[in-house]
Amino acid sequence: MIASAAIRRQGLRLAALACVVALVLSVLLPGDRYLVRIFTLVGVNLIMVTGLSLLFGYAGQISMGHAAFFGLGAYTSGVLTKGGMPWVLALGAGVAVAAVVGLLLAMPSLRLKGHYLAMATLGFGEIVLFVFGEFESVTGGSNGLRQIPAAQVGSYAFDTPVAKYLLIWSVAFLVLIMASNLVRKRPGRALRAIHGSERGAQACGIDTRRVKVQVFTLSAALAGLAGVLYAHYVGFISPSTFSVSLSLVLVTMVALGGMGSLPGAVIGTVLLTLLPYADAILPGLSRETVAFLQDWETDIHGMVLILVMLFMPHGLAGLVRSIGTRLFAKRVRPALSRAGDTR
Amino acid sequence: MTMLSVRGITRRFGGLVAVSDVSFDVYEGTILAIIGPNGAGKSTAFNLLTGFDRPDAGTVEFEGLPLRGLKPHRITRRGIARTFQDAQLFDEMSVLDNVLVGTHVWTKTGFLGAALHLPGVSREERLAREQALHLLRLVSLEDLADSLAGDVPHGQRRLVEIARALATRPRLLLLDEPAAGLNSAETRQLADTLRRIRDTGVTIVIVEHDMGLVMEISDQVIVLNEGRKIAEGPPRIIQKDPAVIEAYLGGDDADA
Repeated sequence: MIASAAIRRQGLRLAALACVVALVLSVLLPGDRYLVRIFTLVGVNLIMVTGLSLLFGYAGQISMGHAAFFGLGAYTSGVLTKGGMPWVLALGAGVAVAAVVGLLLAMPSLRLKGHYLAMATLGFGEIVLFVFGEFESVTGGSNGLRQIPAAQVGSYAFDTPVAKYLLIWSVAFLVLIMASNLVRKRPGRALRAIHGSERGAQACGIDTRRVKVQVFTLSAALAGLAGVLYAHYVGFISPSTFSVSLSLVLVTMVALGGMGSLPGAVIGTVLLTLLPYADAILPGLSRETVAFLQDWETDIHGMVLILVMLFMPHGLAGLVRSIGTRLFAKRVRPALSRAGDTR
Repeated sequence: MTMLSVRGITRRFGGLVAVSDVSFDVYEGTILAIIGPNGAGKSTAFNLLTGFDRPDAGTVEFEGLPLRGLKPHRITRRGIARTFQDAQLFDEMSVLDNVLVGTHVWTKTGFLGAALHLPGVSREERLAREQALHLLRLVSLEDLADSLAGDVPHGQRRLVEIARALATRPRLLLLDEPAAGLNSAETRQLADTLRRIRDTGVTIVIVEHDMGLVMEISDQVIVLNEGRKIAEGPPRIIQKDPAVIEAYLGGDDADA
């Protein structure tokens, strides 16, 4: 029974991956630039949300400052490539800066729990945003950083929308596959154990502080990676992109999809990223509706977060699971009653 | 041979002395029971031995080496596993995954290895799974392997926690009231399980209220009352000890 469950999970995983690949490629078919642009943003967000899902969804440690790591990656790589550094090196530097800052923030902050950790990371996000805005000689201040060159590997430049789209989604895929490997193995169990009971995890020999710092650093690095890709995709960055409201949206994406579920995080990311661009997917949508969604985007995110916390603590993934359990209830009950017999 | 040597441990909480100058030895291959009325300091003593709390005075040596200042995960890695009075299971994980977390002590796969699925990861994973399933069979919970730990009935939660503790491959196992909430049939089964565990070479210290269980399985008993050790000896002697009878009958816990 356990073996068959494992095979079923593996099968589901492959099917899910195949679906995502097919969907991602199908976006290119109509040759619609708007559609490609929107889904490129989905890819960028997905890289960030995957990292945040490991930190928040799996390990249960919130960060309200992930937009700052996104920004650190974007600015580092933007500034360096404008200074003439090859993109590949700037990519490494952007990720490294985000990771190192993440590590430095994590070491003192992860002693904190719950609201206190949220406040500390929130404050950190504000400080970084302030630096982006005030450090004009390097960052361009509130005017932002313009004419960031496209990503370039050797002599090949990713300078068309389709090339950029494929680059970003290739990275997103790699990140997603690695994350899904990770969560099903020893490190993933450590993360979930810390979420479940920190004392229990310690009693199992897990150095909870160390693992929390590791996963925070990893998720900061992934946000930095997304930042680098974003900067060279749009070519222009300014502080407003990396505000706390983005951090909040990322947290909402994880929560909406479901804590401790990567497929959930993917769905949450897709839904909330597409929300303001709903007309690209649903062509029949009236202009007023789209305008409403765009004007009220932040409020909708807030409402979604509140509603999920109140009524759907396990998010969409939890909803799907509980429907599945109800449909296959007959399969579950015998297992329980058999165990009851052993008393 | 002495496995654990506790000398004069004391722990004060404000004006209250929860554990006062307690000393005892645990011998390899035996089952030691710590009994006493509620509030006698038993759980505090456990926390002092496992690094979840620090003694104000006294020393603890395990296999000849002091445990002073070690964090809980280090002590587990030294070979001491424990369960909690309020089973600290990972409710959102399956029973099998709970036990697999216990294998972390002797498995190595890190973030990078798992993400890249480096060679050896699958092998280690398979080994850990075999071990975890074996331990679930030992506590007769193999049928619940795929259930969420949060859905497991109260009495069996403790068995999951015992299997998880064993997965760390301990040489000393500390159990905090494993029989609480079990009916008499379940308690008898628990006694069998504990003896089987002892027979695999694991030394056991058990904090327990159920005197029937204590008398049945333990080789040695120590009695705590108001933080002090008031008696020590084999179960048959302890049962007749006037100080012990006084402590129990004098306290609220006359049902023991």
